[in-house]
Amino acid sequence: MKILIFEDENWKNLLPLSYIKNTFELRCGYYTLFERIAQNFNGEKGLWVRDYISSLTKIKFNLPTNDENFIKDDIFIINGTTIIDGKVNIEEEKIFVDEYNNILYGYIKKETVEKFWEGNFWKFLSNLKENIKKEKVELISIKYPWNLIHFNGQLLKTDFENIQNKKIEGEVSGKCEIINEKNVVIRNEAKIHPFVVLDASKGPIFIDREAEIFPFARIEGPSFIGEKTQIMPGANIREGNSFGPVCRIGGEVEESIFHSYSNKYHDGFIGHSYIGEFVNLGALTTNSDLKNDYSDVVVYLCGSPTNTGDLKVGSFIGDHTKTSIGTLFNTGTIIGIMCNITAGGILPKYFPSFTWYINNKFMKGTGIETGIETTKKAMARRGRDLPKEEEEVIRYLYQETETERKEYVKRSRKKQ
Amino acid sequence: MEEKEIEERAKKVVSSILGVDEEKIKSESRFVEDLGAESVASLELVAGFEEEFDIEMDENAALEVKTFGDAVKFIKKYIEGK
Repeated sequence: MKILIFEDENWKNLLPLSYIKNTFELRCGYYTLFERIAQNFNGEKGLWVRDYISSLTKIKFNLPTNDENFIKDDIFIINGTTIIDGKVNIEEEKIFVDEYNNILYGYIKKETVEKFWEGNFWKFLSNLKENIKKEKVELISIKYPWNLIHFNGQLLKTDFENIQNKKIEGEVSGKCEIINEKNVVIRNEAKIHPFVVLDASKGPIFIDREAEIFPFARIEGPSFIGEKTQIMPGANIREGNSFGPVCRIGGEVEESIFHSYSNKYHDGFIGHSYIGEFVNLGALTTNSDLKNDYSDVVVYLCGSPTNTGDLKVGSFIGDHTKTSIGTLFNTGTIIGIMCNITAGGILPKYFPSFTWYINNKFMKGTGIETGIETTKKAMARRGRDLPKEEEEVIRYLYQETETERKEYVKRSRKKQ
Repeated sequence: MEEKEIEERAKKVVSSILGVDEEKIKSESRFVEDLGAESVASLELVAGFEEEFDIEMDENAALEVKTFGDAVKFIKKYIEGK
């Protein structure tokens, strides 16, 4: 059966992480949300995403994207932010919704698709909700950025249980200390240097191919160290971390996700945070993840205050953002894409995309051309090109976020 | 606004942001080599000029301006276009 993985209208609730990425590209546990669905459901797959990102999605996944012909068939639809195993009943035509009436998944017959298709996918979802049989279900669904952190520890444990071939295959120094070895997997060509401690007593540790753990680093489980990721000398990797491929991680990190290709090379603490792709955190960059009065953390989601309902919430940093040495983020800070932030005083809790923050003032930055050039250089350093489709998305977002950016620059000047 | 007035006000902005005496700021002074404006300071200068003259400059073009004299001309163009 055909399987359609879709984004719904709530994609904006996952900003800044979802500016350049589909919601189902975000990482939680060992996998991105897409990888998790793809593993659990066999069948021809297609995607439906918001318009501005569809060309980029098509080249990234090489799957039918926003293709009307693909969906005009008997089809299993699944919201890309739903975490679900493959054990679902797909014999009867029905949709399954969450407590807010968002479609999580469902099975739709060809004639129903044709009956309710009016040329707009989100209208189609709305028509399904009004017209076909539905049932409420409780499943993990990623609605906000902090949900990814909230569920990461739990998924790190179940993902370990579900992997095959639990072995230590990489090169492990005889002077490395492994606690609870049956809970540790080290893939081929990974290298563990002397005086490393892998403590899997409270949760499993998975170290992927070609990862490298340098001397005096300590990794606590549950943790996932992605392919070609390096853990720098003396790093203190506490529980609940998921590092995607080609990251460099030093200092202290707790219950955080680094998407991929990001650097936190030096000392400094990052906790309960999600760091996007190609982010560089300068030495001693640190975030708070707990308020001194132990109250729920409020974040400025799309600039508006939103109670997370969680006591521990760190920072959510969009792709291609850079911080200076000594940057100190407040509890629950949202930082857009391609920002440049320099240390200084108590930092704001919300940074619009493409802004520069210098001497306690928001600035417009160096403009889109210089930003694109810098991005190309940063990606080339890791052997990656900036696809023209991604460049187009970045340019589009620069325009889309202009009003907000200018407002913050203007307000920041008035304060002085 | 006369170019002379723009020059005087722009000098005060440059002096305050870069910490350079006003008398040392000449028309031919280069921002990077002579006045020490590195990348971050250049952004502060653009913000300072925009604030002082209540204009909004194109950031790519503004960062291409190399000397104080050219900056005065650049600002004048925006003031006249207001």
